[in-house]
Amino acid sequence: MNSLLVIARRELTDLKRTRFYLILFGFLAVVMILSVIVASFDFRAKIGDYNLYLDTLRRSGSTETPPAPQLFPLQLLRGSIEYLELIGALFAIIIGYGTVAKEKQHGTLHLIFTRPVSRFTVAGGKVLAFAVAWAVVTAGVFVAMIAALLVIGNAPLQLIDFERLALTAIIAWLYLMLWSCVAMGLAARARRASTGLIVALVAWLVVVLIIPQIGDTMDPDNQVPGGLFKSLAVAKPDEKAVMANFAGFDDIRNGLEVSSITKHFERPAFALLGIKDQYNQQPVGDVWASMLPYTITLTLAFMGAVGFTALATTKRALLRRES
Amino acid sequence: MPQVLLAVFVGMVTASSVIGWLTNQVVTSVYDRTFAAGLTTQPNPFSAVSPLYYAKNTVIYIILIGALLAIVLGVQSTIRDRKAHTFDLVLSRPVRPASYLGAKLAGLLCWVAGILALSALISWTSISAIVGSVLSPGDTARLLGFYALAWLFLLPFIILGMLTGVYSRRETTALLVPIVIWSVVTFVVPQLGTAAHPVSLLNPVPAIASQGGVFQLANLVLGPLSLTEHFKQASAFVLGDTATTGSPLLSLVVMVAFAGCMLVVLLTTQRDRMRSPLDE
Amino acid sequence: MNDTAIKTTELSHSYGPKAALKGLNLSVGEGEIFGLLGHNGAGKTTAVSLLTTLIPPTEGTATILGLDIHADADEVRRTIGYLPENVQFYGNLTLLENLRFFARLSGLDKPDARIREVLEFLDFTGHESERLSTFSKGMRQRVGIAQSILHNPKVLFLDEPTSGLDPQGVRNLREIILNLNRHFGMTIFMNTHLLAEVTQTCTSIGVLREGELVYQDSLAATLTAFPDEASLEDIYLHIEARPER
Ligand SMILES: Nc1ncnc2c1ncn2[C@@H]1O[C@H](COP(=O)(O)OP(=O)(O)O)[C@@H](O)[C@H]1O
Ligand SMILES: [Mg+2]
Repeated sequence: MNSLLVIARRELTDLKRTRFYLILFGFLAVVMILSVIVASFDFRAKIGDYNLYLDTLRRSGSTETPPAPQLFPLQLLRGSIEYLELIGALFAIIIGYGTVAKEKQHGTLHLIFTRPVSRFTVAGGKVLAFAVAWAVVTAGVFVAMIAALLVIGNAPLQLIDFERLALTAIIAWLYLMLWSCVAMGLAARARRASTGLIVALVAWLVVVLIIPQIGDTMDPDNQVPGGLFKSLAVAKPDEKAVMANFAGFDDIRNGLEVSSITKHFERPAFALLGIKDQYNQQPVGDVWASMLPYTITLTLAFMGAVGFTALATTKRALLRRES
Repeated sequence: MPQVLLAVFVGMVTASSVIGWLTNQVVTSVYDRTFAAGLTTQPNPFSAVSPLYYAKNTVIYIILIGALLAIVLGVQSTIRDRKAHTFDLVLSRPVRPASYLGAKLAGLLCWVAGILALSALISWTSISAIVGSVLSPGDTARLLGFYALAWLFLLPFIILGMLTGVYSRRETTALLVPIVIWSVVTFVVPQLGTAAHPVSLLNPVPAIASQGGVFQLANLVLGPLSLTEHFKQASAFVLGDTATTGSPLLSLVVMVAFAGCMLVVLLTTQRDRMRSPLDE
Repeated sequence: MNDTAIKTTELSHSYGPKAALKGLNLSVGEGEIFGLLGHNGAGKTTAVSLLTTLIPPTEGTATILGLDIHADADEVRRTIGYLPENVQFYGNLTLLENLRFFARLSGLDKPDARIREVLEFLDFTGHESERLSTFSKGMRQRVGIAQSILHNPKVLFLDEPTSGLDPQGVRNLREIILNLNRHFGMTIFMNTHLLAEVTQTCTSIGVLREGELVYQDSLAATLTAFPDEASLEDIYLHIEARPER
């Protein structure tokens, strides 16, 4: 058997048997499903509100019927996708770091490198193992979310919805792989693997949390609880018209957000699932086409991360003594 | 890690005043436009905001970076002792675990107080610079009050770190478990209570509970556990943000309760727990 | 006359500015058990790391059975077995899985029969499906020996193989080493700072001091060359104390 496959297989067995990782994956799945549940209850509450409102209108003798809130089941996944980008990335870092740290700690690398393995075998085997592991986990959480949608959300899913979900799952896989590879490369490069973990965690904090957060709080609409325009009772088209005057500010805000790779996962994901209104119920091909720039940068970043970890995970870096 | 996190934290505190000011400028002109176009008759919700409003992003950086910093400091303080087996040495002396851990905590709290004092100075200076005049004594007191709240908010996280440092079998788990707990407190618990989306919880404006019956119940049960939301609530009040509702006193009580419970857990740590070996 | 199994010429290695091994000239015959002695930090592990192709020499060359450690690294790797100091293996994997892993990396495609053979040779059967995290230090050291001989290496490198073992474990290991040498004619190169080990297992010895080889001879010659000395320990101290030539 090829050495690369031998290493990948061992890595997978190890992942499967590490209870801590299983707990983490389970936790991720649970919060993602909980989020679907919360969203569907929230929707039911909205329907309830609407019916109450309708009653009062009727009673006051009005014949006008405001449009009922419409259920777009995939929109219920918003929170779950956000968990994937926040917590999923954190777990991806933990796993990427763990695979190098364990070997450094157990001294097994010294043995592997006295075997006839070529330069990229160790890195390649580990990346392959991540690829398989994340494919399984991503598939698992998406199936779980679909189940939650069908059962709890009582949502009718069409074939096209599955297509959207599959595409989202693929970019989610790219995003998670990216973090695992970055963390693995950092852990390999650092003299002490734990330093690599710390650098990766700080990167996570900045890229996943802080930068998108700055972008979010700079949004004028987010300045008042419940939304500025809502509190001023301004309708959506008018809101757009007003905001058109602030294009420069929005460009800065957008530039800031786009500097975080997380947004390159989030935006296509939200577009594909119709969470962003503009893309809701649009043909998948159109959405995909307009999101292509983000998908491309995400793919490039993913390839960069794989390249980085392949170059960083060398015999020399790995065998450096801790000091 | 503490150094890097500290640098990120101080940097973000500095940046947050600027971000807050810039956003406020924009949002005020957004309102002016809206009003001029006759789209609203509501009064400007920002006409009366205090200059402290500019610091409100700092609330989030305390929740994000400050809490992680507190966790790391806590974990390191106890795990280091276990690694070097100094716990064994100390506990062979006539020292009660409670006094030893308590003293360690006191040291960390002083450290954190120092960091927060520095941040307060930065906030005070940058807001004064933006407004163009020295902050009034009242506003200065509010700012200090906010940083005191931050200190109280960070306390449970320091202890959480210390505890996982004592109880974990590995250093990595000691670091990661409190981070996972932090993410539950920050994102999952408030989401269950309010149906807010996780990322939007990183907005300094506290989330409003969804009105459905389930959420009223969930909020009733989970509300007290939403430590970060209560910190946001209390901070908004102290910083004079008139737009937020809710009881600041309740929030303060929740924060004190969290700190108190964690303190009790820490101080009742058993002697042999502290001596359990690390798996590394 | 034996052929040479290991030959080094001015073999040197520096970690940054720190010279850990300085111009090692050494020759070990086929079928010998060579013991490399030295205090902690003398450069023993560095020497073995060079010979097992883990690190490249900063200067000099070495050959294992005529194969250059740099130019023919992969061939060298197929020829040698190695047990590093303090290796813990994969605790989440069973004994069998650990051994299969290393056997496959060494190029054995269907390793199970060979693993069985090795475990029987080591008198270590019955634990195949236990996870290594439950193994004692002594058991792990046997796993270490097992993985190092799976591919029938001609030259075996052992770095401080007895460190951390209890007296019984030390004795068992010594027997295993002697058996490997006797039954399979393996050349064995072992590092140690335990002098008793050397007198009971080795056929020749070398002494490293601060990266320099200060002594090399057969065990018999050493014992006759120092007739006044009561034990190898005294000889060792005697060599160590000699002024530099
Ligand atoms: N990876 C490394 N980086 C830097 N210095 C090292 C490294 N490995 C060993 N050394 C130094 O080189 C010298 C020889 O070390 P080593 O070969 O491990 O000695 P021994 O095995 O005889 O105890 C020591 O001074 C040690 O500190
Ligand atoms: Mg050594």
